[in-house]
Amino acid sequence: MRSLTLAMGAAGLLLWPWAAPRYFVFLASLIVVNAIVAIGLNLLSGYTNQLSFGHAGFLAVGAYTAAIVATRAPGAPVVVALLAAALVTALVGLLLGVPCLRLEGLYLAMATLAFGFVVVEAILNLDGLTRGNDGLRVPAARLGPWALATDGARYYLVLVVGAAMVWAALNLVRTRTGRALLAIRESEVAAQASGIHVARYKTLAFVISALYTGVAGGLFAFVVGFLSPDAFDVFLSVDFIAMIILGGLGSVPGSMAGAAVLTVLNDSLAGFQNYRPLVFGAILIASMLFMPGGIASAARRLRAPLAGPPRIAPGSRPPLQGERP
Amino acid sequence: MRSRWRLPLLALVVLVAAPARAEQGVTDTEILLGGSNSFSGPLAFSGEQATKFGVDLYFKAVNDRGGIHGRKVRTTYYDDGYKPQEAVANTRKLVEQDGVFAIIAPQGTPPVVATLEYLESNTVPLLFPFQGSPITRGRKWVFSGMTLYDRQSRMMIDYLVGRRKVRTFAALYQDDEYGKAFLTAFEKDLRRHGLTLVAAESVKRGTTDVSAQMAKLHAAKPEVLFLVLTPGPGAQALRERQKIDWTEVIMVSSGPLTDERYLSLAGSAAEGVEGLSLWPDPLTSDRPGVKQYREHMQTYFPGNQPNRYSLSGYFAAMLFTEGATRAGKRLTREGLVAALEGIRRFESGILPPVTIGPDHETQRQGFWVRVERGRFEPLTDWLSAE
Amino acid sequence: MTTAALVHVVVSGLATGSIYALMALSLVIVYNATRTLNFAQGEMLMVSTFAGWTVYAHVKLPLVVVMLIAVAAAALLGWLIERVIIRHAIAATHFDLLIITLGLSLVLRAAAGLAWTHDEFPFPSFFGTRPIALGPVRLAPVSLGIVGASLTLMLGLWALFTRTRLGRAMRAVAQNQRAARLVGISVERVYAASWVLASVVGAIAGVLIAPVIFLSSQMGFVTINGFIAAVLGGFGSMPGAVVGGMLLGVIENLAPLYLPSSIKHSVPFLMLIAILLIRPAGVLGRVTRPKV
Repeated sequence: MRSLTLAMGAAGLLLWPWAAPRYFVFLASLIVVNAIVAIGLNLLSGYTNQLSFGHAGFLAVGAYTAAIVATRAPGAPVVVALLAAALVTALVGLLLGVPCLRLEGLYLAMATLAFGFVVVEAILNLDGLTRGNDGLRVPAARLGPWALATDGARYYLVLVVGAAMVWAALNLVRTRTGRALLAIRESEVAAQASGIHVARYKTLAFVISALYTGVAGGLFAFVVGFLSPDAFDVFLSVDFIAMIILGGLGSVPGSMAGAAVLTVLNDSLAGFQNYRPLVFGAILIASMLFMPGGIASAARRLRAPLAGPPRIAPGSRPPLQGERP
Repeated sequence: MRSRWRLPLLALVVLVAAPARAEQGVTDTEILLGGSNSFSGPLAFSGEQATKFGVDLYFKAVNDRGGIHGRKVRTTYYDDGYKPQEAVANTRKLVEQDGVFAIIAPQGTPPVVATLEYLESNTVPLLFPFQGSPITRGRKWVFSGMTLYDRQSRMMIDYLVGRRKVRTFAALYQDDEYGKAFLTAFEKDLRRHGLTLVAAESVKRGTTDVSAQMAKLHAAKPEVLFLVLTPGPGAQALRERQKIDWTEVIMVSSGPLTDERYLSLAGSAAEGVEGLSLWPDPLTSDRPGVKQYREHMQTYFPGNQPNRYSLSGYFAAMLFTEGATRAGKRLTREGLVAALEGIRRFESGILPPVTIGPDHETQRQGFWVRVERGRFEPLTDWLSAE
Repeated sequence: MTTAALVHVVVSGLATGSIYALMALSLVIVYNATRTLNFAQGEMLMVSTFAGWTVYAHVKLPLVVVMLIAVAAAALLGWLIERVIIRHAIAATHFDLLIITLGLSLVLRAAAGLAWTHDEFPFPSFFGTRPIALGPVRLAPVSLGIVGASLTLMLGLWALFTRTRLGRAMRAVAQNQRAARLVGISVERVYAASWVLASVVGAIAGVLIAPVIFLSSQMGFVTINGFIAAVLGGFGSMPGAVVGGMLLGVIENLAPLYLPSSIKHSVPFLMLIAILLIRPAGVLGRVTRPKV
C-alpha cells in the first residue's frame, strides 16, 4: 500500500508540468527550493539547537553566486553554477560557524541576524558585480546546448537536485554524523563527555546547512529569474524558521511539509499582503502553544492512534524520528 | 444530406462559428488590467492613491457609463513594497495566473525596470508606469506615465541657470536607477552650461535618515540642493536643514517628489521649498479635467483629499480609455498599441494636449513651483524640454 | 568638518542613543525577570504610540495627555500579552518563548497596518523646531529634550529598583527565581510587573522618537538597535544598557561623517559583530561560565 502511494506520488511529481498550468509549475519549483532551505535550516536549528535568523543571507549568497557565474560565463552548464553556489556558501558557513562556537542561545541568534544583514550590505556595496539595489537579471540555466527557458524545464532541474538533497538528508540522520548531532542537541556537555568533538560537529552543521541553502539559492535564482538584495531580509529568514517550526524540529519530512504549506499560503495571500504577517505570526504562536512538535508530530500521532498520546512533560521537546516517546 | 459531406461540413460550421481567438484579459463583458505597486514601504501612500483613488476612480466613472465598447474595466493589484524582486514575481502572477490584458500604472523605477524584459518577451503592454527612467523610452510595448527624468533635469537646469542665474548645485539622491538617472542627467545638462555638481550624496532606498549626508552637503555650500528621493527621506532632508539652520540654500524636489505629501511630513520645515511640478494643483486648478477629477473624487471617495498621485493614476486610466476606445470592439494588445500611437493633440483637460509619437512618451512638460503657506504655488507657465 | 557641525552631530547622537538606551532597558527588564527576549517590544511600543496618536487625531488634547494615553495603552498591552500568551507557555523553553514573541511581533505589525495602513505620519513634538544657537553651534531642541526626558526616566527607574519594594522583588527574581519564591515573593506578580514596566518605558521612548522618525507600522525596528545596545553594554546589566545605547548612538552618527554616508545603517551590526568577537560580555558585563 505504501509503495503504491509512493509510486503514485512520484508519478504525480514527474507529470506535474504536463497537467498543471504554467504558474503552478513555477510554484511547485518554489516549494522544492524552500524545502531544501528548510531541511538545511533544520539541520542547524532543529538538530544542534543553533537558531539561525540569517538564513536569507545564505540563500542570497547562493543565488547571487549562481547568477554571477551564469552572467559572467554564459555557456557554463548549470551544474557549474550550482556547484559554485554550494561551495561559496559552504565556505561562508564555515566563516560564520567558527566564531559562533563561542556564542550560544540569544547571542548566537543575534549574530546570525547580523550576518544576514551584513550579506545584504555586501551585495549592495559590490554593485559592480551584483548591480546593487537595482537588481540582477538571471540568464536562463544552460544544460549543454539547451537553455532551460521554460517553467517545466526548470521544474525538472529543481526536482532532480531536490530529490538528491532530500535523499542525502534522510541518510545523514542514520550516519555517525547524524547521531552525533542528535547527541549534541540533547546535551552538549554530555556529548562532549562521551567523546564527541562538539565544536567540530557544530561547525559541520553550519557548513552543511549553508551548503544546502546555497544550492537552494542557486536554484532559486534560475527559477525566479531576477534578484534584488532587499528581498533577502530578516523576514525571509523568519519565513524559513516558520517552516521548520510548523513542520516540526528535527524532522526532514516535516520541514518539507512546512515548506509546502507556507509557500502555498504565501502565494494565496498575494492579494492580501496586509494579512500575510498576521497569518504567519499566528501560525508561529499557535504552533508553539498547541503543537510544539509541528506537522511531524501530528502525523506521527495520527499514524499510531491506539498507542495513546506520548507521555512527555508539557513544553519539552517532542520525540525525534525513530525515537520512542 | 449525403453522409460523406457531413463531417467536413460540420467542421466548417464549427470553424466559422467559433469565436475569433480571444485576447488574454478581454472577454465580452470585461477587460482585466493589473499592476504590481507599493502598498507598503516608502511609496505606500502614493501607490495606494494612484491605484485605488486614481486609476480605479476613473474606471468607476467609465463603468457607470457602460464601459468601453460595452466592456467594464476591472483592476487587480499586488504589493511589491518598492522591491524589484517582488515586482517581478507579482507581475508574473498577474500575467500567468490572473491573465491580465495589460499592466497599468506600476510605480517606482527599480521595480518597473526589473519587469521590463519579462513583459516585453511575453508581449504584455506596460502602460503609464509612475516612473521616468529613460530606459523605458521608445519600447514597443511600453508607454511612459511621467515626463522622463532626462527631460525633467533639462527643464530644471535650464530654468535655474538661465532664468535664476544659479551657479552652484548639489544633489541628494536615492542610490539606485531612480536617483542615478537624475544624477547622470544633471551632470550632462550642467556640462552644457559649463558647470558641474559641487557635491552629491546618496541615500539608500528604504532608509530615512539623512543627517550625515546633509552635514556634508552643508559643507560644500551649494546655492541649490536637488532632492531625488521618496517622501520620507525628502521630508527628513527639509527638517535636517532646519535643524542645522542652513538658510542660504534652495531645496528643489524632483518631479515625482513634488507634492504636498512630503511637505506635510516636514511640517514647519517646508517653507520656501521649490520644485518641478508635473501636474496642475489638484486642489485648486480650474482646468476642466481637474475639476471633473475633483467631482468624481467627491462622488466616489468623499473623504479622500486630491493629490498629484491620484491625479496621475486618473490620467493614466483616461489615456487607456482613449486608446481602447479607438482600438475598437475587437480589442487586442497590438490594436491597443497602434491606437495609442495614433493619439494626436488629445485634450485631457488636465495637461497640455497629448501627442504620442514613436518614443511612446505621453508627457513632456512640467512647471516651476515654490511653497507658500504649505502649498506649492506656480512660478512659471509650462516649461518644456524638446 | 567644523567643530560646530561636530557638536551638533554628537548631540544628535546622544539623543538617538538615549532612545536606544530606553529600548535596551525595556528589553533587559523583561529578560532579567523572565529570561525571555521579547522580540515584540518594538511593535508593542509602536502600537501604543499609534493609540495615543489616534486619540490626538480626533481630540486635540495636550501632548502630555497623549503620552499618558500611550503609556496606559502600553501598560494594558503588556499586561494582556503576559497574562494571555506568555503565562500559558510558562513551562516552555526559552526557545519556544522567543518564537512566540517573534510571532507576536508579526501579528502586531500586521494588525497595525490593517488599523492605520502602512503609511508614515507626522507626530507632534514636545519641543520646538527653532535651533538653539550657542555661538556657531546649532543645537536642536528635540535632541536636548530627548536626552533630558530619557535621563529623567532612567533616574526614575533607578529609584524604582533601589528604593521600592517592587523593585527589590524584581531584582531578587532576576538573581534567583527559586530563592525569591522561597522568601515569599510572588514570581507571577513580578513577571506581570516586568512586562508592564518594560512596555511603559517603550511607550515613552516611542512618543519621544516618533516626531523624529515619523510614526509608522515599521517604527518597531528600532528595537534591534536597542538589543545591540544592550549587548554592547553587557546584556542583563542596566547601567550597561545605558552606556551601550549612548555609545551606539554617538558612533552611529559620527561614522558616516568621516566614512561614506551609507555606512550609517551598517554601524550597529558591525559593532555587534565586533563586540561578539572581542568581548561577548560587553563593556560592563561580567564574564560567566555556564554551570553544568
